[in-house]
Amino acid sequence: MKLPDTSETIAAQATPPGAGAIAVIRLSGPSAFAAAAAFLSPPPAAPAHRMAYLLAAKDGTKLVDRVVTLFYRGPASYTGEDTVEISCHGSPYIIRTILNLAVKNGARIAAPGEFTLRAFLNGKLDLAQAEAVGELIASASAGAHRAAITQAEGAISGEVRSLRTGLVALLAEIEARLDDSYGDIPALEKRAFLRRAAVARKKAQALAAGFEAGRGIREGVKVVITGAPNSGKSSLLNSLLGYDRALVSREAGTTRDTLEAELDIDGFLVRFTDTAGLNARPATQLEKAGMRRASSAMARADTVLLVKDASIAETPSDRRAEKEVAASAAAAETIRIFNKADLPVKRRSTAGAETISCRTGKGLARLRGRLVARQKNIFAEGAQAIVTSARHFEAFFEAARELSALEEIIKNKTPGLELAAEHLRGALGALASILGETTPEDVLADIFKNFCVGK
Amino acid sequence: MTAFNYPDIFDVAVIGAGHAGCEAALSAARLGAKTLLLTQDLDTIAAMSCNPSIGGVGKGQLVREIDALGGEMAKIADLSMLCGHMLNTSKGAAVRSPRAQCDKKMYQLAMKQVLERQPGLLIVQGEAASILTRAGRVAGVMTVRHTRYRAKTVIITAGTFLRGIIHVGLDSFPGGRYNHPPSSHLSASLKELGFKLGRLKTGTPMRLNGRSIDFSKCERQDADSPPAPFSHFTGGIKNPQLPCWLTRTTAKTAAVIRAGLHNSPLYSGKIKSIGPRYCPSIEDKVVKFPHHGEHHLFLEPEGFNTAEYYVNGLSTSLPEETQAEIVRSVPGLEKAEIMRAAYAIEYDYSDPGQLDYTLETRLVPGLFTAGQVNGTTGYEEAAAQGLIAGINAARWALGGGQLILRRDEAYIGVMIDDLVSKGVDEPYRIFTSRAEYRLLLRADNADLRLAPHGFALGLLDPALKENFEAYRGAVEEHKSDKRPARALGRGPWTTENARVEAAIEKTYAIYIERNRKQAERMKKFEGLRIPADLNYSGLKALPNEARHKLEKNRPLTLAQAGRLPGVTPADIQLLWVLLEQRRKARE
Repeated sequence: MKLPDTSETIAAQATPPGAGAIAVIRLSGPSAFAAAAAFLSPPPAAPAHRMAYLLAAKDGTKLVDRVVTLFYRGPASYTGEDTVEISCHGSPYIIRTILNLAVKNGARIAAPGEFTLRAFLNGKLDLAQAEAVGELIASASAGAHRAAITQAEGAISGEVRSLRTGLVALLAEIEARLDDSYGDIPALEKRAFLRRAAVARKKAQALAAGFEAGRGIREGVKVVITGAPNSGKSSLLNSLLGYDRALVSREAGTTRDTLEAELDIDGFLVRFTDTAGLNARPATQLEKAGMRRASSAMARADTVLLVKDASIAETPSDRRAEKEVAASAAAAETIRIFNKADLPVKRRSTAGAETISCRTGKGLARLRGRLVARQKNIFAEGAQAIVTSARHFEAFFEAARELSALEEIIKNKTPGLELAAEHLRGALGALASILGETTPEDVLADIFKNFCVGK
Repeated sequence: MTAFNYPDIFDVAVIGAGHAGCEAALSAARLGAKTLLLTQDLDTIAAMSCNPSIGGVGKGQLVREIDALGGEMAKIADLSMLCGHMLNTSKGAAVRSPRAQCDKKMYQLAMKQVLERQPGLLIVQGEAASILTRAGRVAGVMTVRHTRYRAKTVIITAGTFLRGIIHVGLDSFPGGRYNHPPSSHLSASLKELGFKLGRLKTGTPMRLNGRSIDFSKCERQDADSPPAPFSHFTGGIKNPQLPCWLTRTTAKTAAVIRAGLHNSPLYSGKIKSIGPRYCPSIEDKVVKFPHHGEHHLFLEPEGFNTAEYYVNGLSTSLPEETQAEIVRSVPGLEKAEIMRAAYAIEYDYSDPGQLDYTLETRLVPGLFTAGQVNGTTGYEEAAAQGLIAGINAARWALGGGQLILRRDEAYIGVMIDDLVSKGVDEPYRIFTSRAEYRLLLRADNADLRLAPHGFALGLLDPALKENFEAYRGAVEEHKSDKRPARALGRGPWTTENARVEAAIEKTYAIYIERNRKQAERMKKFEGLRIPADLNYSGLKALPNEARHKLEKNRPLTLAQAGRLPGVTPADIQLLWVLLEQRRKARE
């Protein structure tokens, strides 16, 4: 059974999800220092109280982020326990990876309101404040928070449930034999049992891996900049980036190949691809090849910025660009950009378009915000899913580990069934954080359904 | 008619002298309580109404625990053993359990003799009619012959006798055992006191005359040589051992049963109460597992001086005519003579959710219930409860702390916690699968776990304490590969015991550590008592499901609340805060 227990070390994001460029991850509990030191490099041997360290968060040898870390020795901390606060970049991928690292190294994901609960239990809050603790936990466990968790868990609860049903059946196989006083039940069919155990283990591993990867967010938003030659595509890229990534000239067709650049906007990764201008009458083979590459980049885009020079009237190349975008980037969101707004305007902007000037910077902030608006929404809605997924990750990671140990035991010539049962119980215990307890009655029900036992 | 006031006032009065009642009366008297044991029939003290067998997986551990606490069952079982086995020898030590057939009469007489010799224990033949109370507390027992026994505490150990009804085919008649009248008044008295009673069912097979059995068609199963004793103190089994015999049902058996189902009180709907799934009647087995061609049957002798054989596996409530056909369909039993027919019995039990961990009822202070009346089944389960109730009743009357065993400490603790926190919906039997700390609760370490309690209570011979402490030290030394420095002194515990025990602990070391850590975490929550008057409906913050569960079960501690399905860790956290707030507000 998993009850909230202050002898365990807990971890969670302390800052509001999805809000800022910086996120704070907090670890609290007796092994908070050890858990943090296990993935922070170089690990400070005896970290000084309330001293900030610049450290590298590493997943194995892979650098996840450079983080500012504060160590608080209990009882002089918010919770009254040893506490570590890790300030990292606010990307969901980084946050999730760091939380997963904390879990891998002995922490568990905090239950809603648990930091405050500990502060209360350790006498860091007085009785008046304690009223608020109850309310906090209540709202967290019963209100919107729980609804969010329920929603997020609904998506995978079917899979978890079937995983649990499989594990209960496996445990019943073992328990029936352990509790058999009359030798009525034939010996365990090891091969069939191992097959079923491996299926369950692989499923748990796959579920854990799915949450660990978080592909969509890690890969960022793919934005392709396109338009007629000399409409100011590369200028736009440079302006958005804040530095000169692309070579710019007054001459049309300066950009021949596609050009890539990454930008962090409000903690979200945006990947730009600048492309060759779409010329209605391409002059050279090289120019044609550049245009083909532009089309294929658009096909993979989340968002296409179709740039138009607002200081001249519409050209055949503009019309060609519209056609290309419609053909190649049907799945992407298209934002029309009326560029060069600092010059006298020769054509009117259309609905949903952005008017900007790379020279004066007009409209750029608005455009930046618009590029990650959708991501921000997804993140805000799925805010709990991030925490939840870390909790799921913990559950699946643990279940898979127990099942591997189970398989090792069953493979023995004379498998210790009572030990096998311990690992199956461990795996079911790990899943309990998602679906609640598996009681002995559940297992007994399975035994009596499937085995004719008793005198 | 005026009642006769028995002159003495008892500390503890025990109603019923079955396996629970005997342990309750002995432990209370041994703790110095002035004790009364009231039984309907002196000749059925410690009767084994069903199989004359003690132990089994889980049950064997219970018997070892009873022994380590200073109870009697293990000693009597050793004395009367006629075929002893260690079960699960092909599996690990944690699930090894002793089980033995005993001589039914020898068991009864040996227990009766121990009771008779116990100073401070008055044994009386008489039937309880009602529980007396004064100012809401228990005050004694009134018998049907109008004798009033005044007592500070009362323990009801009525077994299956409360409004017992026996079924054989579509015939039914009142009875607590086949030829013994039920207790018809006590149920009404309990109801009057406000107790919630329910109805359960169990059954027993027929007994055959061994002279009429063709054993050459059966498979012989010999006892272990020598069989391991249950008790830490008896030093071994002195009786010669008898074989048991294995045979099996046939396709014809199944056909006979199917043809007779219309006369089955179970399948005709006459019996509505629930029987144990793990001890199914033969008609249940045939109906629920139609693809099983045969079912094992064990022929077990009931004594050294009788030819009666118990047919383990043929429990049924079919009519006598069908029973005869069933028996004749089994190889070896073609000509077997039925001496006693099989039957089913329905009886009242008192919902164990009304108990505290001490087995004192929450409704009437000083009133305890133990054994089958609490919805359990099995002599071992009953005896273990009787022992705990006897100890706690004596302490209640004489002063002294309560004895409450934790789930990580004893199967007794697992059982009582299960009963108190979840209630029962079928007769409750112990299984090792019920214990989350199974590897800590072994038959081999029952003494290490519980003898300290036994010595502290004064139920174990203080002269043996030194020997036990030396043994405990020697086990630790062996575990750290040191050779014990000194001999263990006089007593049942030897250096060889210590070496074997240390070896078992070492094979399980990693898992024991894991179990221990889990148990350690849980301890804090076991200690967090939930006030009995907590108003859950006022706790709006709790989700509905959790609130209903908590309201229905009224857990005694936070740990118990956490074991309820449908109550999540978040709910427990909230409850914890509320309890802490109450506590801090009081400070």
